Amino acid sequence: MISHKNPYQPIGAELINIIDESPTIKSFVLKPEKPIIFEAGQFVELTVPGCGEAPFTPSSVPSQKDTMEISIMKAGKVTAQLHEIKKGATLGLRGPLGKGYPIDNFCGKEIYIVGGGVGLAPIRSLFLALVERKKDFVSIVCRYGAKTPEDFIYKKTLFGDWQKIDGVQIKLTVDKANGQWKDNVGVVTTILKPDDVKIANAVAVVCGPPIMMKFATLKLLEFGFKPDQIYLSMEKNMSCGIGLCGHCMLGKYYVCKDGPVFTYSQIKDYPKIWD
Amino acid sequence: MEPAFVENLKVLCDAIASEGELYIPKKVNSHYVFKLYTSSDDEPVLNEIRVCTPVKEFLFPIRELAAVFPNEYETQDVKPFAVFGLKDCDLRSIEILDKVFSEDDFKDPFYISHREKMFIISSDCTEPAKSCFCCLFSGKTWPDKGFDLNVSPVECGFLIEVGSDKGKKILNKNKQLFKKATPQLIQQRDENRKKADEILTSQNAEYRLNNPAQKVVESSDGSQLFDIEAAGCVECQACTRVCPTCHCFYLHDTELKNYYGKMKMWDSCMRMSYAAVAGGENPRKILSDRIKHRLMHKFSYYMQRYGIDMCVGCGRCIDAESGTMDIRKLLKQLNGELTK
Ligand SMILES: Cc1cc2nc3c(=O)[nH]c(=O)nc-3n(C[C@H](O)[C@H](O)[C@H](O)COP(=O)(O)OP(=O)(O)OC[C@H]3O[C@@H](n4cnc5c(N)ncnc54)[C@H](O)[C@@H]3O)c2cc1C
Ligand code: SF4
Ligand code: FES
Repeated sequence: MISHKNPYQPIGAELINIIDESPTIKSFVLKPEKPIIFEAGQFVELTVPGCGEAPFTPSSVPSQKDTMEISIMKAGKVTAQLHEIKKGATLGLRGPLGKGYPIDNFCGKEIYIVGGGVGLAPIRSLFLALVERKKDFVSIVCRYGAKTPEDFIYKKTLFGDWQKIDGVQIKLTVDKANGQWKDNVGVVTTILKPDDVKIANAVAVVCGPPIMMKFATLKLLEFGFKPDQIYLSMEKNMSCGIGLCGHCMLGKYYVCKDGPVFTYSQIKDYPKIWD
Repeated sequence: MEPAFVENLKVLCDAIASEGELYIPKKVNSHYVFKLYTSSDDEPVLNEIRVCTPVKEFLFPIRELAAVFPNEYETQDVKPFAVFGLKDCDLRSIEILDKVFSEDDFKDPFYISHREKMFIISSDCTEPAKSCFCCLFSGKTWPDKGFDLNVSPVECGFLIEVGSDKGKKILNKNKQLFKKATPQLIQQRDENRKKADEILTSQNAEYRLNNPAQKVVESSDGSQLFDIEAAGCVECQACTRVCPTCHCFYLHDTELKNYYGKMKMWDSCMRMSYAAVAGGENPRKILSDRIKHRLMHKFSYYMQRYGIDMCVGCGRCIDAESGTMDIRKLLKQLNGELTK
């Protein structure tokens, strides 16, 4: 009999560190049994044995091969269980799955990254991959938002080292400020300006909660971005992660297999893409 | 190869059952289910229409172990088995499932291991049910491909047609049981088929669409018809369970005896939280949106990916409904709105 490899079988991954990022988000550093070589924007299915499985996009740079970091917001059953787990536990991983950002197509362009909330997780992976070869791009312009200053993840690097990288420009905003916040207050679309990048030679990458993706995309279109210049990372209910179970359908696409990264032009005509 | 003739089905069943498990139709009240054949059984009945149980149950069980943790789990050896009494619609439903589970870039090893071991004995439909409408979706009352053996009832016996090498082998191995079919019997079979096809065509005349189903569903934006259907739907999900082409599933992690298991279980896109994501967003919170999605998947999305409709017109969903939905009528009404 032909042996067919089992795509539902996770491999073991040891949880070697846990980092508190914000009141609701923790980063988990995993060491898989065998390295999982992924591209920025691809995702993995993480199993909490006996409890459940959920999709997450690694937030670590793809060139870091032995360990993988995943930043997880507490949102329901599986993620709540993950937030209780202690270092040393063994979790399950399947992947890499789906299609990530086509970084090679971004060469010679300005990259306009718009992120919000836990959407910064996949963006971190992309950002670090871009920075590794930043000579290939004209500039990397980032606009990130969070509910409050405490809700930003990767605070240390976001408020520090990343801001100092040559060719990188970062602006931040919060929905609600506290005492020390000196920066912009308002949702992320309030810090998007038509002259942030030269649109004719730019691509935009948007990742965050659906409502934020929707309004950011509308704003970008208003500025003159074409639908095929806007890359979105879509979140849909998923189970198998390999285009079989039907859960993640967005029109004719399986988000898990044909995405999760899509250009807006691919999906704009389907109903309720933001819900 | 010319068809063979056999006087009764029992000898054929005995020959096939000597190679592995054989499932045959059994009538329960007004419909058929499958049962395991044993040599002490009486002469099997030939089902005049499809068995109620969708054939997917043999290839993709309602619930099966798909992975264990921390140890690795691969497909288990499936023993050869045979299913008797499948119809053209069933064979076409297998073709639809094959495209998803064994011909696309990710393969489902569990499906494939069952599929490779299944021996298919199909048969002609002699009395199409009122709910049958395969003729509207390029089906007919008798199969011409996708089987190992096909059985057609004729006077005083049955014609057996070979559709594969596996089928040929069985016939050759049991040569002594079969006679050559006479031209008269073949002609009789063809007449029977024509008669059944005519019944089917005439009972479905009123449902024929003058646009491709794909265009009909793709043009249905804003139609009130989905809301009207939703009002008569009790959300029993029977339509998707009994449908031989619906194949949604989910992976359920659970603790088994002394290990962790990932179960692959049937799911239904009619279920309210089927598409809900954490945080409560749900693109199909509203029932009419779920009914529409089911139609879009069948006649638009699947068509765009694989080039055929994901409905074989078997009518099982019409019979199974606790509510009032009839997919033929809905398509016809949508077609009417399009033509207006
Ligand atoms: C491509 C993609 C990338 C993502 N990346 C990130 C990321 O980087 N960080 C982040 O925080 N979030 C990310 N998300 C969102 C994240 O997947 C959800 O927050 C997560 O699925 C919520 O799961 P939950 O169980 O906590 O929530 P619930 O609302 O309880 O979720 C229920 C879901 O959990 C699963 N589930 C529940 N019980 C079981 C069980 N017994 N067996 C198997 N499955 C079960 C089912 O899929 C069910 O649909 C991503 C989503 C997608 C689609
Ligand atoms: S949708 Fe209804 S008629 Fe079509 S294949 Fe499924 S059960 Fe049969
Ligand atoms: S998650 Fe199963 S098809 Fe996409």
